[in-house]
Amino acid sequence: MKSKAKDLTDEELHQIVEKAKAKDNRALGRLCEHFYSKIYRFIYYRVNSIEDAEDLTSEVCLRVVKSLPEQKGLFYAWIFRIASNLITDYYCRRAVRSNVAINEDLVEEMADEKRTTTELLEQQELRQAIKHLTEEQQQVIVLKFIEGYETDEIADMVGKSAGAVRAIQFRALTALRNIFASDMPIRKDKTV
Amino acid sequence: MEQNVELLLDICISEMQKGKSIDECIANYPQYANQLKPLLQLAEQIEDLPLPTSSFEALSSALINIGKEMEQDTAAIEIPGALVPSQRDVLPPKGFASPMKKWKSFFFLNIFRKPGIVWALSIFLLFAVIFSATTISANSVPGNILYPLKLVTEKVKFLLTFDSYGKAELRLRFSDNRLNELVTILQQSNKLDTTLLKDMLDEAKLALSENKIPVNKASIFSDKLSSVNAYQKAVLENIRPEVQTSDRQIIDEAINMCNMRSRWMRRMMDEEHQEQFYEPDSTHQTDTQHRKKSKPKRMQWGPGCDWME
Repeated sequence: MKSKAKDLTDEELHQIVEKAKAKDNRALGRLCEHFYSKIYRFIYYRVNSIEDAEDLTSEVCLRVVKSLPEQKGLFYAWIFRIASNLITDYYCRRAVRSNVAINEDLVEEMADEKRTTTELLEQQELRQAIKHLTEEQQQVIVLKFIEGYETDEIADMVGKSAGAVRAIQFRALTALRNIFASDMPIRKDKTV
Repeated sequence: MEQNVELLLDICISEMQKGKSIDECIANYPQYANQLKPLLQLAEQIEDLPLPTSSFEALSSALINIGKEMEQDTAAIEIPGALVPSQRDVLPPKGFASPMKKWKSFFFLNIFRKPGIVWALSIFLLFAVIFSATTISANSVPGNILYPLKLVTEKVKFLLTFDSYGKAELRLRFSDNRLNELVTILQQSNKLDTTLLKDMLDEAKLALSENKIPVNKASIFSDKLSSVNAYQKAVLENIRPEVQTSDRQIIDEAINMCNMRSRWMRRMMDEEHQEQFYEPDSTHQTDTQHRKKSKPKRMQWGPGCDWME
């Protein structure tokens, strides 16, 4: 396990954000490009299809552009909160919360030729198991293990204390262990 | 106790992210090893999941939407109520290097978007067309579409030449041109164009009338005039048998004029030579005095040339 490297330091990010606030299109473009993949991955694990993930990511970028002048505090925390709110809206609109069906496209996209079929199946099960977690547990798991943020940073993003984040993290991993330990069948089209 | 496990789990995850193995991490907390190990294994598996990547088109589309949004905002601020041009709705503003647009920026037609380049190309094309037409028209003869352009080009060249020697040289060249045209038409239609013949002699006459030729170039000009005169005479003699009998008299008169011009030239050169030989002071004469002295000696384009008048 290795920490996922960040390609921008806090200082660089701060400078780009300030320029973007001053209507510097180049800075704004760079900001969106930098966060697009992170936001996409964050949303990807919580929605049903690639199309939805792309649409929501695009929507997050638009909201960032619109609301940037009013942005305060940590930028990455702010942007992930926007994404989180949009995901909530998405499920409210569709009245389908945590649909666990994993789109075949997702499996195809993530299939790595070097991995064995068993590995792929395990990965698929793991992704499906993550979708069984609560919203905040999914959030913490993705930010911690997919995006590689520190606990303190996640605490800023989700608006909780570091201790609360640790507790969520612990409960999320325990829940996943229980899912696998109980050999619970992961239904593909279940709407919770 | 649970709080301790949560904290220890977080510490172990951080250490694993720095490169430690699960066993190394839990070795420090043997009493929690059974509880931590499966959770850390799960954490490791989640981290090993392949990262989903968004499509190239989706990123481009998002950037274009952002650009569109920003353009609308700018328009609303700068020109309240103004409509945003349709093209701006589609294209992102400067600074948004959309991946889909990057390769397009290398497309060669993009250079035509710059007004400066369009102007430069237009001017270049205009000059190219003029130059080509002028070059092609150089071989044209009366009756051809480009012949008027040839005459205009000659006039322009003459007007743009300011010294007498240059003007006289041009006259000789024009005279030669008329002779060449005359020969071409004769070969094509077996007909003598008397207008061209008259123009040929006129141009040579006008060359002689350029009376401000510098003294140091007078001898060079005399040589040129002599050779042109000899050439024209030779050509006229050659074409004489080919023209109709009724036109032969005209050719004869033209040949006669060439002969007279040759004689006049020889006489002028002899006198000049004598002046230089017997009157060394004449080299100190001013240019005006020299011209005044030589003016009465000019050839009279006298009787026998009625057809030219």
